[in-house]
Amino acid sequence: MSTVSLAQFHQTFFDESHEGLDAMETALLALDGGGDKELVHGIFRAAHSIKGGAATFGFPDMAAFTHEAESLLDELRDGRRAVDAGIVEVLLRSVDCLRGMFARAQSGQPLADADSEALRHELAAMVGRTLAPAAAPARRSDDAATGWSIAFRPHRGMLAGGNDALRLLRELGELGELKAEAELDRLPGLAALDPSECHLGWRLELRGDVTRAAVQSVFDWVEDECDLTIEALPGAQVHHAPVVAEAAAAVPAPAAAAPKAAVREAAATESSVRVGIDKIDSLINLVGELVITQSMLDTFREDFDASRLEMLQQGLAQLARHTRTLQESVMGIRMLPIGSVFNRFPRMVRDLSQKLGKQVKLDLVGEQTELDKTVLEKIGDPLVHLVRNAIDHGLETPDRRRAAGKGDTGTLRLEASHRNGSIVVEISDDGAGLNREAIIAKALQRGLIASAEGLTDEAVADLIFQPGFSTAAVTTDLSGRGVGMDVVRRNVVDLGGSIQIRSVAGKGSVFTITLPLTLAIIDGLTALVGGEHYIVPLASIIETVQLRSEHLRTVTGGGELFHFRDGWLPVLRLQDAFACHGTRRPIEQGLVVVVEGDGSRLGLFVDELIGQQQAVVKSLEANYRRVSGISGATILADGSVALIVDVAGLSRQLSRRRAA
Amino acid sequence: MAKILAVDDSASMRGMVAFTLRGAGHDVSEAENGQLAVDAAKGARFDLVLADVNMPVMDGISMVRELRTMPEYKGVPILMLTTESHTDKKMEGKAAGATGWLVKPFDPEQLLATVKRVLG
Amino acid sequence: MGKAKTDKADGRVALPADCRIADLAAVKAALEAALSAPAAELDGAAVERVDTAALQLLAVFRREAAARGMAVRWAGASDVLRDGAARLGLAQTLELPAAMPA
Repeated sequence: MSTVSLAQFHQTFFDESHEGLDAMETALLALDGGGDKELVHGIFRAAHSIKGGAATFGFPDMAAFTHEAESLLDELRDGRRAVDAGIVEVLLRSVDCLRGMFARAQSGQPLADADSEALRHELAAMVGRTLAPAAAPARRSDDAATGWSIAFRPHRGMLAGGNDALRLLRELGELGELKAEAELDRLPGLAALDPSECHLGWRLELRGDVTRAAVQSVFDWVEDECDLTIEALPGAQVHHAPVVAEAAAAVPAPAAAAPKAAVREAAATESSVRVGIDKIDSLINLVGELVITQSMLDTFREDFDASRLEMLQQGLAQLARHTRTLQESVMGIRMLPIGSVFNRFPRMVRDLSQKLGKQVKLDLVGEQTELDKTVLEKIGDPLVHLVRNAIDHGLETPDRRRAAGKGDTGTLRLEASHRNGSIVVEISDDGAGLNREAIIAKALQRGLIASAEGLTDEAVADLIFQPGFSTAAVTTDLSGRGVGMDVVRRNVVDLGGSIQIRSVAGKGSVFTITLPLTLAIIDGLTALVGGEHYIVPLASIIETVQLRSEHLRTVTGGGELFHFRDGWLPVLRLQDAFACHGTRRPIEQGLVVVVEGDGSRLGLFVDELIGQQQAVVKSLEANYRRVSGISGATILADGSVALIVDVAGLSRQLSRRRAA
Repeated sequence: MAKILAVDDSASMRGMVAFTLRGAGHDVSEAENGQLAVDAAKGARFDLVLADVNMPVMDGISMVRELRTMPEYKGVPILMLTTESHTDKKMEGKAAGATGWLVKPFDPEQLLATVKRVLG
Repeated sequence: MGKAKTDKADGRVALPADCRIADLAAVKAALEAALSAPAAELDGAAVERVDTAALQLLAVFRREAAARGMAVRWAGASDVLRDGAARLGLAQTLELPAAMPA
């Protein structure tokens, strides 16, 4: 019984297979535009690895499916079949199908379904095979005898190939009583002998109740490297018997019963992140530096006087520097290139543009830009939506483009980059741009605005982010999926980011998403409210103002507004919002922090501002429970807890209250 | 204890092979493709090499051919980890100088049994 | 692991601990040198690993020595060496001693 559990390799298998599938897809898309042989080899290798892993790690349905895809790829590989659009299409569907199987494997569900079975048969039919339901293992009859006479004459190269005759005879000796007689007649003289060549032969007698298959299997690797005859010994008892053994293990069973337990184990595996060895090495180095600094500082404990003050200060500065670098490096572990998200777009753009009769060239820039893993996982959906929108609404058909004096093919560009400590992802197209009139008409119709008078282009563009807004004159099957631009903005804001749009009619649109580098640390402004500390994320702060009571207007329902730049903003007293203790200060005795969240601005009234600091975000949800208006907590230098203000959440609360 | 080189581009397969063999007390090195395996073989003398057939950069067959040109790898067992469907690959591997093969899928017990068999 | 050694004067050949296919060039050279001595003495006491190629080489040497009427004696033979020879049916040809001399 083995002590090795295969389940421990499942996550690695899933991870590498996802990469393999992504690579297959990329190569298939490249092949679509007339690719070369090496692409086919790469696709074959990926499929082959998945098949081997699936069979090894207990996913027979996946192995059976991949086997058919691999057979088709094998024909492409050795030139028996030419690549055409139909084949690329069926292989792309196979990639999708396998992704589905992996998703089911990770959640412990049966892998095969009606669709995967249909596709498996389709693939088999393409290589000219009909799949019989679970062929019975071939039986071959076998003889058993009480003794065998074996003539074994290795070819010259057998020993050099690693098959030592001594080993083979030792194996035979384990089956029964073996007598060996060496044939020396072909031995050359010493001078002529190449010691790595085999010139010996053997006449062997094996006594014992042994089947012919068992004898044969000892020689299975050297079939083509020796002359071998196996005969029952004269006078030995021979009985003919059908053999079932051997074969059974070779054919993967199509039923999914076996791997269930293993799959569950895998489903329970924690999510993991693969880290490059260079990142680990740099961490180890930094920790080493930290230890050195620490031991240097340690010397001050016993031996310190004013003369060494400067050294102490230097040591502390060094400690601070190392801690900061260490922090950055640890954060870096969670950083993954955005390419893994970008990778899905070539396929999507191809499928969508074909469907809509548009010609689209996709440019991906900055795929190596790294993002926090959590941000990366959550940015996919908003990007998909924006790309879909750009193709659906932004880019025109070739006819229209020609009429507008542009080339037939539109360009869609996704670009990721670092900018001022943030990640910026831009989705730009050279399509029709936003149609101001259509947006205004729609907004009026939806009651989002009362009149279009005085609306800047920026304000008009911003309307598309309002809930329930859609500009498509005709509802295609791509739009109207219940997800609007408002949800895109919500998703981005939930990640601590923001989204802006710039558009020029007739020239195209640019959506700019700005995301924080990490969700684990934020820069914040510490504020005092009713004697407690709160942290307002710096990214959402526009400015801080001190108000006099004459700046305030009280509106019906008890809300307060203040004049800011050229408009009126609501004031939210954090003391009321969080039900803090202490007396309610008059507006003159506090400060208003003007923030922007979820697309709207408001003023947060606080007692005092203490200063700016970095806060390591601790989840309140994980440690306590979700609290509305609070996005997390952090621990201050003195050990006390400060809550982090969820600006977007407060803004939503406020607008709900005002709407009510 | 034997010095064994496990060669596979798939981290899960390589991990399974290495983990199983280390559990049996062997000294296992790993390589991601044929070229890296050849480089590793130049610096150390392995008692056994287990290699996948399909790998990028240098495949398993070319790797066997390359290793067999090195005098110190004459007669050293090299097993191909191959799939049933590629009988021609088995023969190609044999022709290049492979000792034998282990048919995928195999489980840890089959692996150990085969390794024990070649190491004697 | 020591290399095969020969002393031209008395034809002594000490077999290495790892006496297998990849290391036989040196053994072969030592054996060829020993053929020019009046008598040969083989020492296989240190042999820890042996294979068919090595035993075949020894068999070829014994036959060649016998053909020249040259005396060959064993100074020692490890269990590994004797077991290998027996399994390949070469014990008689190699005239290995029945047990390891002290």
